[in-house]
Amino acid sequence: MSPQLTLQTPLQLPPTEIPTYLDQLWSHDERGDKGANTFCLIIWQPAWIEQKLVKTGKIPGPIVGNQRIDLIEAARQIVLEGDLPNSTSPLDFRVQSSIQSEELIPNVEDLRGQHIDTSISNLQPRRLITIAPTIEKENNLETLVAAYCPLPEESGGKTACGDVIVLRGNKTAISDGLEIVETLVPDELPSWLWWNGRIDEAPEFLNALSLPNRRLIIDTALGEPKVCLNLLLQRIKSGQAVNDLNWLRLRGWRETLAMVFDPLQRRNALDNLEKIDIDIEGTQSVQGLLLAAWIADRLNWKLKNCVSSKKDLIKVNFIRPDKALVAVSLTYLPIGKPSINPGQIVGLRLIAKANNKQKNDICVILASESGECMRLEAGGMARMELIEQVVPIQKSSLENDVARLLSSSRGNTSPLLASATPIAKEMLNLVNQSK
Amino acid sequence: MSMPVTNPLRIGLRQERVVPPQCLVIFGASGDLTHRKLVPALFELFKQRRLPSEFAVLGCARRPWTDEIFKEKMEEALSSEIKENPKEWKLFVQNLFYEPVDLQQPDHLVRLGERLEIIDKLKATHGHRTFYLSVSPKFYGSGCRALAAAGLLKDPKRSRVVIEKPFGRDFNSAQTLNSLVQSCAKESQIFRIDHYLGKETVQNILVLRFANAIFEPIWNRNYISSVQITSSETVGVEDRAGYYESSGALRDMVQNHLTQMLALTAMEPPGHFDPEAIRNEKAKVLQAAKLANEEKPWECCVRGQYSKGGSNEDPLLGYREEQGVNPNSTTETYVAMKLFIDNWRWQGVPFFVRTGKRLAKRLSEVVLTFREAPVHLFDAAGGCPTSNQLILRIQPNEGAEFSFEVKSPGSGMRSRPVNMEFSYDESFGEPSDEGYVRLLADAMLGDPTLFTRSDEVEAAWRLYTPLLEKIEDSPWELPVYQYESRTWGPTESDLLIGKDQLLWRRP
Repeated sequence: MSPQLTLQTPLQLPPTEIPTYLDQLWSHDERGDKGANTFCLIIWQPAWIEQKLVKTGKIPGPIVGNQRIDLIEAARQIVLEGDLPNSTSPLDFRVQSSIQSEELIPNVEDLRGQHIDTSISNLQPRRLITIAPTIEKENNLETLVAAYCPLPEESGGKTACGDVIVLRGNKTAISDGLEIVETLVPDELPSWLWWNGRIDEAPEFLNALSLPNRRLIIDTALGEPKVCLNLLLQRIKSGQAVNDLNWLRLRGWRETLAMVFDPLQRRNALDNLEKIDIDIEGTQSVQGLLLAAWIADRLNWKLKNCVSSKKDLIKVNFIRPDKALVAVSLTYLPIGKPSINPGQIVGLRLIAKANNKQKNDICVILASESGECMRLEAGGMARMELIEQVVPIQKSSLENDVARLLSSSRGNTSPLLASATPIAKEMLNLVNQSK
Repeated sequence: MSMPVTNPLRIGLRQERVVPPQCLVIFGASGDLTHRKLVPALFELFKQRRLPSEFAVLGCARRPWTDEIFKEKMEEALSSEIKENPKEWKLFVQNLFYEPVDLQQPDHLVRLGERLEIIDKLKATHGHRTFYLSVSPKFYGSGCRALAAAGLLKDPKRSRVVIEKPFGRDFNSAQTLNSLVQSCAKESQIFRIDHYLGKETVQNILVLRFANAIFEPIWNRNYISSVQITSSETVGVEDRAGYYESSGALRDMVQNHLTQMLALTAMEPPGHFDPEAIRNEKAKVLQAAKLANEEKPWECCVRGQYSKGGSNEDPLLGYREEQGVNPNSTTETYVAMKLFIDNWRWQGVPFFVRTGKRLAKRLSEVVLTFREAPVHLFDAAGGCPTSNQLILRIQPNEGAEFSFEVKSPGSGMRSRPVNMEFSYDESFGEPSDEGYVRLLADAMLGDPTLFTRSDEVEAAWRLYTPLLEKIEDSPWELPVYQYESRTWGPTESDLLIGKDQLLWRRP
């Protein structure tokens, strides 16, 4: 289903006039309807790569801010042409700086904030406020406003309208206009901030927009692992509701791994795990660390030390409740065509030793494709009782993932993420210290 | 080290929807259902972190209780559960409130409205209210009218009503009740609850059918020769004689629970997983269902009543000897019947439905019997090959099994049936929720998928109308056969299914 546009061409108004305009917009509703009683979503929508690709004529406009296919394909091409490592994700910030841009095409249509993905518009947001920074240095602040309604057939006839507001301009202009955002957030509704960019790209804006009572959606796959985990931990500790898309994308791995140990006869093996190997694409380690931390937290392991921290390998030791050691390693694989999101897990191997309740050594291999299964089978794993499964790759779009968070959660931080993050952070600290 | 009951990797994995800010108002809060099912289900939701902090339960009944008394009563009823989770209960109990309300007294409703305003401010529930009518069925209509008159249902986005079974006594009364309730609230606000639909295994019928490519192509008259739907209880009428005498097995079990199982088993695939799409298909299949012989219902229906039984050490009373039961009662405690579904998929396939109290086992299941292989190439250990059966076990030992023929070991080529089993308990690392947990959450979320729509309820009543009329007008044509307690019902029911050269499954 194609994304929806607003009902009307957005009106460009001076920022100060927007609140009055919105009041008028809703007070003119004959039924006295004040719009959907749902939530307000603020979106930091830089779309740097898309802006650059469109404005250099590498893909056709308009700029919409969604992860469309031609954008991803063009970004992959840049990876190949730009002398970047093959395992560079098409959304990696290095892609943006590799796009050659002597001259930018002027006046490219920019529909960021007006191009509402159906998965989000179906949730009938009351207000969408998009902050759309531009790559041009000279752009002044533009503020646009429009009403929208989900199509009746998609919402089962229960239409509830909302409005969209876009703040567009260069970073200085956005900074000047930022104070208006708070006046536009309805007090009586839950508000969310979806930080749809690198976590470390504009800390001043992130801090200004992610007020403590606001539910935060971030993606720890985008940014320096240390910065990502710091922010995640700091916000969790402060009690802010944080939702991490990188953690959400781990759900297939968590579910499949849990499924392996659902049958009672395998449950004992969990107490006897002695080795875990996690393979990830590229070098962004947060997802791998979070997976290891989740397992460690669930099984009550304590982090002991870092054994090795090479360019392509991290090795740490945990201690089980029975004081035995568990060796955990994270390997960065140079994958040829990596997935859209950096640092995604491609393989997981767990080895449990035989004991009096479990006759054989057990080796569990989960992989995103059969080639990775074969890689992890190497080294005589077949001598053990082998349990292998291919973890289905999540085909869900970014917008679908965000919609899932908006609809399925009251915004609170997942307790599993809250417990795993400090362990992941501690692992990263140990690794950095040992370098 | 002992084997963990729950898989530690499984804990917290479920992606459950969280209820939006909400005040749940329970009418009949001093009754059985509140402390046996509703509050335990809410506490479970709380433990699963599926209730928001902006949440309140307002118990309402005629008894002049206070908030404190209500909390104490609930605490007594849930004592064993609280022992295991004292911290959680301490937090949960802060959300319980009580207001003495008689739904027939308009001034009480005014007071209720004021109390709700106070709770809205206190718990920030933003006027989102779910009214649960856990009261005598005779007050459903007047209860809704009273709520509407007090203006408590006027916001269709923020208020809804949950109505317990039975919804009407027959087609006409269900229709009248529907129009009365619909005059008070929009259909989207009305949630008619059937707790059977909250069971994982009942919902699994949909998943089994529509998430697996192997079943749907053979789920029709070309491959299935008959369907049996059974829900049997080992208990008698217990302390429900007053209600049961006026209802009987047909109204108590068949019209709602068994008919819902029938609808899920026989419905067409919906275009998408959408509440209205699913309910449309269920309504359609119920509208196509009919008694095997509407003119002579006694030909396709058997009624029974349990007589005494048990052993010398543990004797069991017959129904007519139970406290509160008329010694000459003709209320059926058992009913078996044959139905057809007049559509392309099911033309000519008999659906046998049975339910009863004091039967040999407590179980609910759907059994699909497949047609025999067209040619018998092999000797069968039992004389002739057994038809393949797919058994969907609703309770207990939730799961499914498939029986099929295999070669018996040995030099000859003899076949014998074996079972392939799937058990929820063994396959999943955590226990399933009680039906009310799911249904209460869905009602508060405004998701009507597992609730029955007005046309479904009416179609279900219409299906049994010829039978109900006959029982009313000429009961001698549908006599109540006695059966010994803790047996599988009257012999006549075996004769009923025997006419099709079939046997009831004896699990």
